[in-house]
Amino acid sequence: MATVTTSQTPDLASSPSPVEVAESIRAAYDASRAVYPVGGGTALNYGNSPTQPGEQLDLTGLNRIVDYTPRDMTILVEAGVRMTDLAAALAAEGQHLPIDVPRASEATLGGVVATNWSGPRRYGHGTIRDYVIGIHAVDGRGVAFKGGGRVVKNVAGYDFCKLLTGSLGTLGVITQLALKVKPLPESTGTVVAACADVATAGILLDRLATLPVPPVAIDYLLGPNWQVPTTTRSRQAEIGPQTPHLVIRFEGTETETAWLADQIQTELQQAGGMSVALLAPIDAAALWKRQIEFADRGAGDAPENSPMVIKVAVPPSAVTKLVAQLVAFDPDCSIQAHAASGIVIARFAKFGHSDITPVLVGKLRPAAAKLGGSLVVISGTLDGLTPHLIWGGRTDAIVLMENIKRKFDPRNILNPGRFVY
Amino acid sequence: MIAEPAVNLSAELRRLLGPDRVLDAHSDLAVFECDAFVIEKHCPSVAVFPQTANEVAAIVKLCNERGVPFVPRGAGTSLAGGGLPVGGGVMIVLTRMREILEVNLRDRYAIVEPGVVNAWLNKRLAGTGFHYAPDPSSQGACTIGGNCATNAGGPHTLKYGVTVNHVLGVEIVTAEGEIVQVGGPVEDSPGPDLVGTIVGGEGTLGIVTKIWVRLTPNPQGVRTMLGIFESVDDATQAISGIIGAGIIPAALEMMDQGILVAVEEAFHFGFPLDAEAILLIEVDGIEVGLDAQRDRVAEICRQNNAREVRFAADAKERLQLWKCRKQAFGAIGRLSPSYCTQDGVVPRTKLPHILQRIRAIGAKYDLRIVNVFHAGDGNLHPILLFDERNAGEIERVLAASGEILNECLECGGSVTGEHGIGLEKLNFMNRMFTDDDLDVMTRLRDALNPGGLLSPGKLLPTAGACGMEQIHPGRRAAL
Repeated sequence: MATVTTSQTPDLASSPSPVEVAESIRAAYDASRAVYPVGGGTALNYGNSPTQPGEQLDLTGLNRIVDYTPRDMTILVEAGVRMTDLAAALAAEGQHLPIDVPRASEATLGGVVATNWSGPRRYGHGTIRDYVIGIHAVDGRGVAFKGGGRVVKNVAGYDFCKLLTGSLGTLGVITQLALKVKPLPESTGTVVAACADVATAGILLDRLATLPVPPVAIDYLLGPNWQVPTTTRSRQAEIGPQTPHLVIRFEGTETETAWLADQIQTELQQAGGMSVALLAPIDAAALWKRQIEFADRGAGDAPENSPMVIKVAVPPSAVTKLVAQLVAFDPDCSIQAHAASGIVIARFAKFGHSDITPVLVGKLRPAAAKLGGSLVVISGTLDGLTPHLIWGGRTDAIVLMENIKRKFDPRNILNPGRFVY
Repeated sequence: MIAEPAVNLSAELRRLLGPDRVLDAHSDLAVFECDAFVIEKHCPSVAVFPQTANEVAAIVKLCNERGVPFVPRGAGTSLAGGGLPVGGGVMIVLTRMREILEVNLRDRYAIVEPGVVNAWLNKRLAGTGFHYAPDPSSQGACTIGGNCATNAGGPHTLKYGVTVNHVLGVEIVTAEGEIVQVGGPVEDSPGPDLVGTIVGGEGTLGIVTKIWVRLTPNPQGVRTMLGIFESVDDATQAISGIIGAGIIPAALEMMDQGILVAVEEAFHFGFPLDAEAILLIEVDGIEVGLDAQRDRVAEICRQNNAREVRFAADAKERLQLWKCRKQAFGAIGRLSPSYCTQDGVVPRTKLPHILQRIRAIGAKYDLRIVNVFHAGDGNLHPILLFDERNAGEIERVLAASGEILNECLECGGSVTGEHGIGLEKLNFMNRMFTDDDLDVMTRLRDALNPGGLLSPGKLLPTAGACGMEQIHPGRRAAL
């Protein structure tokens, strides 16, 4: 594999400006040298490893909050701002960006946009694409460009905010973002329910899908990662490896969450849920932290090296069937499904090279594709995975993306190899 | 190689589609020479009415072979000239692709063809407990395909988002005639968000032939109210106060005195004609919390000197209030023979300032300007009233429009919130964007529309294309 020098030029790392980012990419373009943009470095395992020698471009120095007008509910920040710093600034004004990101004290906003990262609350709050209203970036020729603006409604010009979302740093290096934000909810609540089996979980999820008042998150949890020490006497302890659990989070005013807590518990009990309970705030908070961190590190505090972590996207109605398939292959895998959004994250306990062809390529990916969905490898310890194994085959849509890539990065220097091109 | 004999394009199109779905007589084409942007007119050489994506693809391929420009058209409600066939060519009218192909409540999506009228989908969804949220005021006529092109908004986008927030996937016929699906019923397609890029592309990045839209659960309850204000300033301060208090109403619309008079004359709702502004505010959500939310909004209105806050007592009164709002444009006919609607956006906190400026600009150009708009989003729709029979009025309208939009830009806003750049606002693009921005936009267009035959002359200023200020109406707009 090609080596990557991680030589950040000192002045770039210490006090970069968007202009310097453009200059440095321009220089790389002139030299046809690869540039690897890096924010907090929390998603470097996502996608392929670099394929060409080149330089890492550290963007964490781009961390200013440029302008924040709370009464407009918009904020303009540089892309290297850490998610917790952003959250703190917003919280001081009673607002938030409701995107759930693991290792938020390290992760940067630009990285979240580039990876299109999302978490449990995507059901109620959408994903980062729904919040970016303006973007500044530098293309593969070192040309700084922007799209959108500072207002919440704007259809002038092509929407680069969308195009760069999920582009994994391959079309442009994001330097600045304007976001619309939301008021912090007055109150939140979490209800958990155990399900006797996968079939029951399916019935419960059907019921929740048609609630007139949707919760913000419906997670379906299963597997050893969700086991907690038996000394913990809280309700959370009952989320065990064998029993699927549903965790439903809701937000609103005190009155609303009180009503929702009753309503959701009743629904779940009527539909056959077991041990249905409203979690105490402290337990809910502990569980919530694990729900956010799971995709990144599994059980919690220490990184846990799963050989293969995948994200499968299917129609919500197919989630329980998919989970059954995953468990049939590896009974010890741990699963978190954002069930109402059809997103299933699986951390396998065992997954070897010999499983790639029959399981990943032969079974799971076709099953997802048949339902109109996709399967991507989030991270893992197996080496030698090709772009097609990580992202899936070349579709007609990817041909269009390649056409765009050639225009935005004619010398293929922006994160070459990270995505399928 | 023997040169192919020059073949008449219409004849070839008839071979593809049959004789009934190709129009090329000038008298048949007159209706397609403009959309709701009536200041400029272009007649297509031929209009075709495909019924399938395969037919669209065949038409596009034929146009490519002949080097003829082509442009998709929905219901022709674009206020920015998005559907005009600049330079003639083939107009691909999509109104016969009008099937709702699937409604899936469990997975919360519907699949529609581009010619499905926005309101038809909600009619179909009635009683299911779900709806399609984007609700442009033209929803009784405009198509969902057209909504995708412009990334259309509407009153309820304040809380629920615009079209792009509700489109999961599109099938497009590319500029070169390939049928490609981007996104679909399942979220999280890997890679750049192409769906979000094509939606809002104003038909320049592909012709949408199928759309997967997100369905939204109907709110459990709703409270609709009317805040009546002595002054526009007070009304705008109330808007700022409501948003600033962390309340996101489902809708927050403002009508000023000018439009109130017309609406009152048309609908006899009993609006006080001496009030300078009213706010139509709707909150929705969980029934149990709604009265408190409504009362809080009413309190903020009163703190900002609302003369009166009226609550809609029942569903009937609510519908009547919304009828006034959505048909306000129709009532303008009572005020003047012609009008021009603008579509600027400002940060919400700049609303008091921009409305003062609009008033001043109206005075400067001796024009009557009335306002009915999506106040909660900061999305203005100043309506400039004129009579084109009076010499020089159109010029004054255009000059005043330009000044208003420039003022929006000065405030950190945009020249279009939901109508699009189209043809109308081309000359504002280089005021909002640098040459580099426009160069990269051109690269995006070239990537997906390499020959430039698809919807030429739209969205991006190019040599030869003209913007609003350069337009000299060749004939009278027939309003």
